Amino acid sequence: MPELYAPEMFQILAPDGTVNKPELVPDMETVEKLYRQMVRVRFFDDRLASLAKQNKMGTYALFGGQEASQVGSAMALKPGDYIAPMYRSTGACIAFGWEPRLAIMYWRGHPEGWRIPDHLNMLPIIIDIGAQFPHAAGVAMGLKMQGKPNVAMSWIGEGGTSQGDFHAGVNWAAATDSPAVFIIENNGWAISVPRAVQSKVDYLMRRADGYGIPGYLVDGNDVLAVHHIASKAVEDARAGKGASLIEQMTYRIRPHTTGDDPKAYRTEDEANDYITNKAPIDRVRKFMTDQKVWDEDREAALKLEVETEFAASLEAADNAPTPDPRALLEYAMVNPAPHLLRQREILEQRIKAVEHA
Amino acid sequence: MTLAAERPTTESTTKVMTMAAALTDALDLALERDDKVVMYGEDVGVMGGVFRITTGLQGKHGKARIFDTPLTEEGIIGTAVGMCAVGYKPVVELQFGGFMYAGLDQIISHVSRYRYRSRGRWNTPMVIRFPYGGGLNLLEQHHDSPEAYLTHTPGIKVVIPSSAYDAKGLMLAAIEDPDPVVFFENIKLYRSLKEEVPTGYYTVPLGKARKVLEGDDVTIITWGAMVQTSLEAAKAAQQAGIGIDLLDLRTVSPLDLDAILESVEKTGRVVIVHEAGLTSGFGGEIAALIAEHALFSLEAPIVRVAHFDTMHSAFNPINHFSRPEPTHVADAIKKVLSS
Ligand SMILES: Cc1ncc(C[n+]2csc(CCOP(=O)(O)OP(=O)(O)O)c2C)c(N)n1
Ligand SMILES: [Mg+2]
Repeated sequence: MPELYAPEMFQILAPDGTVNKPELVPDMETVEKLYRQMVRVRFFDDRLASLAKQNKMGTYALFGGQEASQVGSAMALKPGDYIAPMYRSTGACIAFGWEPRLAIMYWRGHPEGWRIPDHLNMLPIIIDIGAQFPHAAGVAMGLKMQGKPNVAMSWIGEGGTSQGDFHAGVNWAAATDSPAVFIIENNGWAISVPRAVQSKVDYLMRRADGYGIPGYLVDGNDVLAVHHIASKAVEDARAGKGASLIEQMTYRIRPHTTGDDPKAYRTEDEANDYITNKAPIDRVRKFMTDQKVWDEDREAALKLEVETEFAASLEAADNAPTPDPRALLEYAMVNPAPHLLRQREILEQRIKAVEHA
Repeated sequence: MTLAAERPTTESTTKVMTMAAALTDALDLALERDDKVVMYGEDVGVMGGVFRITTGLQGKHGKARIFDTPLTEEGIIGTAVGMCAVGYKPVVELQFGGFMYAGLDQIISHVSRYRYRSRGRWNTPMVIRFPYGGGLNLLEQHHDSPEAYLTHTPGIKVVIPSSAYDAKGLMLAAIEDPDPVVFFENIKLYRSLKEEVPTGYYTVPLGKARKVLEGDDVTIITWGAMVQTSLEAAKAAQQAGIGIDLLDLRTVSPLDLDAILESVEKTGRVVIVHEAGLTSGFGGEIAALIAEHALFSLEAPIVRVAHFDTMHSAFNPINHFSRPEPTHVADAIKKVLSS
């Protein structure tokens, strides 16, 4: 490999809660907002992990540990902006405004959870790795053509950067100067495959050079750093300066999904080191406590708040009626073709047969 | 057609195996037998694949023979084309059938055409294997049955076993085969069935159906997991005195038309069952062939049981309404007997 200048990893808040770029710390109101949102989505993830253990979820892609990376970026957006999420992005989606109740129902395979609310410019969650990047590029190109002041943001794993769609999306938005922010959440692992298998390059954000757009390397566990850089990329896009590529260094402390067992490919030490030494929530709490804007009472109140919200969301999701099987044939086509109408008749017979059984 | 009793074996020792274990065994034997066989894909090396089909093989055969790759289906299939050109026999894994779409351009435009395009100079004798099928409530694109996209592609063989014995023998035949083979492994069948499987090397020929049940009244034609679904319905029908001829195609391309016609000429009544969507599913091709070759043997219109023409397994609590279940096959048997 040619000698490359090693980019510095952008960081505002060190893991021990000390500030290394004081001039870039936002106002304490923003810090607190980011903190509260991280605690909220992380609690959501913790609870879904335990619900999954009790067999009360479908397969769920945990994001716990990546809360700074997801919250810091999603909260750089404004209402009217668009997101193109992947399966790991539930934290970003909730921070962007997706109701936890719907997120729970989505991950239970309930059609009501799949219905994306009209007020939310959230594209569908994409399972097929990489495909969301060209979608985001298309949204961004369209926004630009309409002269709208909005941007598109999308996330991909470091594994996903090996897909052709990664190139198709980033290059397209770059070539058309479209307002898109592309985020690589580098969590070290693609299921069992370590980062090094994906690419020979040291930092994936270097690819930005090849597309002619700005590239950033960010401490993905420092929510202030993530939010700062994402906000810069978003504002540049809004100002007509085109697309950016951001690599956020984080870590997948949890199994790949609720169905995975990481013991088959990595040691627990690796995850534990991360949990103990690099945890994104702890460092902000330390910082706010040092700044005397946070204390145990406030922490307890926040905890109660997120617990109460989650409990209500879960209750609402639990109380949702079992989906009507007719949902299976809804939304297949705007004007259902005759073959779908015939299948509706078959479905009615099947429903009747079950009712009479 | 090979009857169950005529299964060729080369070794007398057998072991009770799941389909998953039988496939691992086949891949192990193939690596041992032919040093041109290489295996790669996402998570197949260290972890042994998400369904653990390649478990232990990297430890035994080394990282040069079986390894993890960058995450790209186009890359996995496209490089396999190139590996073939320099003498290798890649046996590549895609993580799920629904992710074949991300590499479908390479299959349709190149794997299937290299030989024709170069007038025989370059061949693509690879095996592309993946888990497919519904019933486990995983995520979207983890339950598709994409065989019809492939049977419509010239030059490719499509194998879909329904038992441990067949899975091993068909896999070894697929690896030996000079044409490209796409090998479907049903996620529900991986570990739900067990049977005696020879421990040695044997092949089951591609293009030969298997008669699962003999009967005179209704022919059921199916493959993959739907063999079990149909068997449940067929056994109930048999108890009610209806004779079912149950045909497991084992490979949908090449297709054992002789076995189909022989059965249809006997029963005159046909039910076709597949997990893939109805419209333009492979059942349509089978129905057309029966119409072309045995129309006057039919006593009743052909009945197809298939998935609705919608996304597979989106909604866990209700998916069973859209995919074929034994009760749906039972209804089809009644229907085909009623006219
Ligand atoms: C096209 C495609 N191929 C394969 C898969 C199966 N798969 C799901 S997640 C995963 C690893 C992804 O790793 P990465 O991109 O780093 O994202 P992470 O899961 O770490 O967030 C794989 C191979 C898929 N979902 N889509
Ligand atoms: Mg990753």
